[in-house]
Amino acid sequence: MRETRLWSLHILVLPIIAVLLGMHFAVMHYAPVFYGMSVDKAREFSTMIERGKSVTQLVLYILLLAAALYHGLYGLRGIIRELPLTPVLVKVVDAGIITFGLFIFAFGTYVTWWTFSYKIGG
Amino acid sequence: MSDRKTTPREITFQVRRFDPDSDVAPHWGEYKLHVHDGMTVLEALHQLKAEQEPTLAWRSSCRMGVCGSCGMFINDLPQLACQTQVLHLGTDVVTVAPLPNYENVKDLVPDLEPLIEKHAAVKPYIISLDQIEINAPTGEFLQTPEERESISQFTHCIKCGLCLAACPTVATDPLFLGPQALAQAYRYSADNRDCGLHDRLEAIDLFHGPYQCHLAGACSQACPKGVDPAFAIQLLKRTLVLDSIGFGKKKSSVAKIMPLADVVKAIEEFAPPPRTV
Repeated sequence: MRETRLWSLHILVLPIIAVLLGMHFAVMHYAPVFYGMSVDKAREFSTMIERGKSVTQLVLYILLLAAALYHGLYGLRGIIRELPLTPVLVKVVDAGIITFGLFIFAFGTYVTWWTFSYKIGG
Repeated sequence: MSDRKTTPREITFQVRRFDPDSDVAPHWGEYKLHVHDGMTVLEALHQLKAEQEPTLAWRSSCRMGVCGSCGMFINDLPQLACQTQVLHLGTDVVTVAPLPNYENVKDLVPDLEPLIEKHAAVKPYIISLDQIEINAPTGEFLQTPEERESISQFTHCIKCGLCLAACPTVATDPLFLGPQALAQAYRYSADNRDCGLHDRLEAIDLFHGPYQCHLAGACSQACPKGVDPAFAIQLLKRTLVLDSIGFGKKKSSVAKIMPLADVVKAIEEFAPPPRTV
């Protein structure tokens, strides 16, 4: 793929990350301000499970995961590929980062889905 | 009160020396020279060579900031030796070294091959869709003053290589195309007579292309001709992004301003009178 598209996407996901990360902070770290709930209460397992049952939360967290992973790993690739690498190592780095990203995305999606489908008391 | 930037005095020149035939590593040579107001570093080097160190090597030609041959690392800044007045540096010790980010051929001579290779890679010429017109032109190509102005500063590049010497990204990533080549890629791609952006993509739309620029801006500070390559890189990014999503400028082939026969006639009309002696 043209580097322009990869780079443009890495810039385009920034507003998505800003909005979704802001929402994550509001829910998790500023619960007393936005929900009148203590931070400890917001982080309790039962509260998280309750929140995780929302379809909106499921979609938004998977979107945040994808956006943050892409942005972060594109940046990491940029740092690593500035090193004097052989063409073979360049391919290894690219393939390694894609594999790592997909693995983390799959794992994060699984955790989010697990929370969504968790049966309370069951 | 004496002005240090005009008062003639003795200046110590520390010049980095390296002869690949006899030296294992570069070393510094120290020379003293009485410098007068207006003397450039290049003139000082010529005088040192004539009077003190005949083996000293550097590259220079025009002596007036046009050819771009005499780029050197003067007092730790990439500058043209012919445009840098010694007293204006304001120091009693002046260091002169070859340009960094290039291999050192000898003494103050850098190997500019990477600069030339990167420059050639971006196809720095007008690429027309109409090959017949290019090979056998029948008219002049239309370019309005506004269209010319939009690329004007980037046409002033003299390929001196100072921008690559100043670039921190080139220092760490030798494959980075660098400010000179990227500015020229923009200069030609933005030219209304050019239709070659897609021909250049293979060379510029890469990891080591414009997106690798760290936005230090050192290239623009170093340029002796007032070109702003850092700005050109940002404009090139915009051009590439718009092109990648299908919003690039649609260019047709060349537009002609007048038939070639009329151009020849116009030139003849304004020809100077015949010589009298």
